[in-house]
Amino acid sequence: MGESKNGITVKDCINIGVFAAIYIVVFFITSFVGYIPVLMVILGILCSITTGIPLMLFFSKSHTFGMITAFSVILGLFMVLMGRPWYSILIALVTGLASDYIMQIGKYKSINKAVVSSGVFSLWMIGMTLPMFFGDREAYFESIREGYGDAFVDVLYRLTPNWMFYVMTVLTFIGGILGGLLGRAVLKKHFMKAGMV
Amino acid sequence: MDISINTFNTSGDRALLDPRTSIYAIIVISVVMIGGRLSGIEYILRVISCMIPVVFLFAKKNYKLGMIYFLLALLAMIIEGSAIQTSSGFLNLLLVIISGTISRFVPQFMMAYCFMSYTKVSELIVSLEKMHLPDVVIISLAVMFRFFPTIAEENRCVVDAMNMRKTKTKKFSLIERLEYQIVPIMMQSVRIADELSQAAMTKGLGINIHRTHICEVGFRYRDYLMIILLTAILLLFFIY
Repeated sequence: MGESKNGITVKDCINIGVFAAIYIVVFFITSFVGYIPVLMVILGILCSITTGIPLMLFFSKSHTFGMITAFSVILGLFMVLMGRPWYSILIALVTGLASDYIMQIGKYKSINKAVVSSGVFSLWMIGMTLPMFFGDREAYFESIREGYGDAFVDVLYRLTPNWMFYVMTVLTFIGGILGGLLGRAVLKKHFMKAGMV
Repeated sequence: MDISINTFNTSGDRALLDPRTSIYAIIVISVVMIGGRLSGIEYILRVISCMIPVVFLFAKKNYKLGMIYFLLALLAMIIEGSAIQTSSGFLNLLLVIISGTISRFVPQFMMAYCFMSYTKVSELIVSLEKMHLPDVVIISLAVMFRFFPTIAEENRCVVDAMNMRKTKTKKFSLIERLEYQIVPIMMQSVRIADELSQAAMTKGLGINIHRTHICEVGFRYRDYLMIILLTAILLLFFIY
């Protein structure tokens, strides 16, 4: 982590772009599991565990306020371009700022703060599941009923009562922590030995 | 996965559409294709908007991919228009999964593919600057899109190396698989990122002076035509 320059340099921008690309690839490969309705519930925890490895490496490269926020805004922007609900970018902004703040408390050097931060960061994923719950719930299921067919929607409807939202949020947070621990282990095993962190 | 992915070109003719129009098109197509219902006017809108990428594929003289996509989209639309309403139970679920995979995810991917194949990186950057996005987001986005094919290439190298050492016959657990495949890719990516940032520095990206561009970016009559069409689709979609 060598130098601690102020402000975001071009090198940081390129790091953000590179790790965002890796993050998205890992995220998408994992989220193909969501086609099976039963596994939709644990999708958050699965995705946040597997993406923990690139995320922790990115955290080790970040050294100033704003990098993590930019990272999560880019993820949100990409998801909106892929046709997810537009407010997922706002949630991404909030979680990005929060995890940036947690990292700043540890002056971007503390690896334990990075694990907590990884848990908070992963919460951006719940923005995509939000239309299934609360106010829009009935309307959302009616709107996808004709598209996805009765069988799929009924299974999904039974699996996701409103309290499931909180469960999914907590699961995603736990998944983020686990992913952070996994990422920390991988960093220790591979990258620190090679002198890359 | 042995699909070669094209992203933004570095040279070539001027883009068919302004990048801003293309981004708008991707958003409209994904809104209509993901959320749309399968009856009434929304079905007609779905048919129209999933045929938009075909036009650009043929305009780029990519006839093979254009035909494949056209036939796939036609198949999905025929299934959605007729078979889903009349079938039930397991057959219904199966048909929904088949046609849903095609119609709900492929059209916006196809539009994004067209966008990337006819737009140059510099055009994208200029038009994003015209949208007044912060510099961090612009540079990172440009790097990100540039990096997807690199990841595919690196992944192929890792898989080749694994096959050469006959690890194909071994059984890995999911976590091991993740470790052995992602870690080398990330090692390479870190190195490539360093080289890329040095290259960018030598080209003067680090200076805080407004950069000028040679390429032309602006709305032409076809952009206006496209915007009117897309806005009409969006309005009809939300009103009905």
